Amino acid sequence: MNIPDSARKPYQNELSRWWWLKQRYYRLYMLREATVLPLLFFIGCLLYGLYCLTQGAAHWQSFQLFMQQGWVIALNLLAFAASLFHAKTFFALFPRVMPLAPAALMISGQWLATLLVATGVLLLFGGWL
Amino acid sequence: MNSPKRSDEPIWWALFSAGGVCFAVFLPGLILAVGILWPLGLLNSSVLQYAQLLSLLQSGYGLTGLAFTGAVICLPLFHAAHRIHHGLHDLKCGYSSATKLLCYGTAGILSVLALYLTLHLILAD
Amino acid sequence: MIDYQLLIQRYDPEHDNEPRLQRFTVPGDHTTSVLDALLYVQQKLEVTLGLRWSCRMAICGSCGVMVNGIPKLGCKTFLRDYHSDITIEPLAHFAVEKDLIVDMTQFLAHLSAIKPYLINDYSGTTVHKQTPAQLAKYQQFSNCINCGLCYSACPQFGLNPEFLGPAAITLAQRYNLDSRDNGKAARMPQLNGKNGAWGCTFVGFCSDVCPKQLDPAAAVNQAKVESAKDFIISMFKP
Repeated sequence: MNIPDSARKPYQNELSRWWWLKQRYYRLYMLREATVLPLLFFIGCLLYGLYCLTQGAAHWQSFQLFMQQGWVIALNLLAFAASLFHAKTFFALFPRVMPLAPAALMISGQWLATLLVATGVLLLFGGWL
Repeated sequence: MNSPKRSDEPIWWALFSAGGVCFAVFLPGLILAVGILWPLGLLNSSVLQYAQLLSLLQSGYGLTGLAFTGAVICLPLFHAAHRIHHGLHDLKCGYSSATKLLCYGTAGILSVLALYLTLHLILAD
Repeated sequence: MIDYQLLIQRYDPEHDNEPRLQRFTVPGDHTTSVLDALLYVQQKLEVTLGLRWSCRMAICGSCGVMVNGIPKLGCKTFLRDYHSDITIEPLAHFAVEKDLIVDMTQFLAHLSAIKPYLINDYSGTTVHKQTPAQLAKYQQFSNCINCGLCYSACPQFGLNPEFLGPAAITLAQRYNLDSRDNGKAARMPQLNGKNGAWGCTFVGFCSDVCPKQLDPAAAVNQAKVESAKDFIISMFKP
């Protein structure tokens, strides 16, 4: 019998580089991955600040002026939002990767840690500690 | 079936995960304080003045400064490098040993720079 | 009965160079599933429509299709949940053979690559005992029906068909966690490769679409932890 294997012509659709725009779930994933971009900006600020510290008090003063510019504060506001969104996603993933305790407990525990650190930092830099 | 070559991803994934924890736990408070409230003049304390900050980083035989740099600069840098490396793959924008070297290499160089500056501060009189 | 508008992707390998959408009007009520609608089309409107199906009760895993861009089992998805045109396409990331039928050869190859069966030296005739606690360790990951929805949800598989993918890695975890199994050493090399667990970036959509709630994304990322442990152990081995 002649098997007509030539009739097969599978159609393979290439994934476009914009695949992640097509689905809300994918857009949120890309947003999660993109949280590192404002993070890099803030790390850049910290590196610049560290450099200024090594250069003496006058440079440290100029670092403070740099940080006071509107666009720098705006980008750092973005970095703050990004860090919270990253935290939300990261905390939710952790109990699934390492199920050490009930997920709700692990997630609230991690938020508590973030809250404690933030409170500590604000108390320290606010001069109340 | 032939066994595939063992990936070195565990190293980068471990650094990514550690950096991710730091980004989620330490960075929100730090960005709020240093990136937003301090520049707006809402943190009126002497702690962020030059001499006080220097002595803070030098405290605990300099371990405070090193821990600070490690937790809020170096590890988050590797976290970011990992996400950018995989993001390039997601966007089909080149994903090779060259981009890998570029991503983790940059994170490594900036980390060494940060640690050098920190040591410089700690050892300064 | 309400009339529903279905846009079904057609592809005839003998005549078409690429797929096209064809509109059908299908009557349905609150019990009409997407599979019911497709069978109505095939039996009443367009006899040449090609689709795979079998059990109609979400256990055979044959009738996976994209419904408005999201991987679904046709039999477990109902027309009542949609209020405008319903677009039905074959599962994404697989090659289309005809209409809604895809070629799952690669998926099956990935499944078999991780040796999805108990590996042990046991040759006795008595039953193999397992405590409820031992069962609980892998039970969640053992409910896979091999429908392939997770592969259509996974952009990493779409970008790199060599990636073992969610179902295969979940199955590897399922056997690695089974107290009756000693085959972990034989499975780890597959998981340790760049196309093993490390091909995943935890998009997580696979777990969202899984009709059996296996949480394959969790399994894949637990496999990363296992692979990382294996990596450390390998450093201390000559």
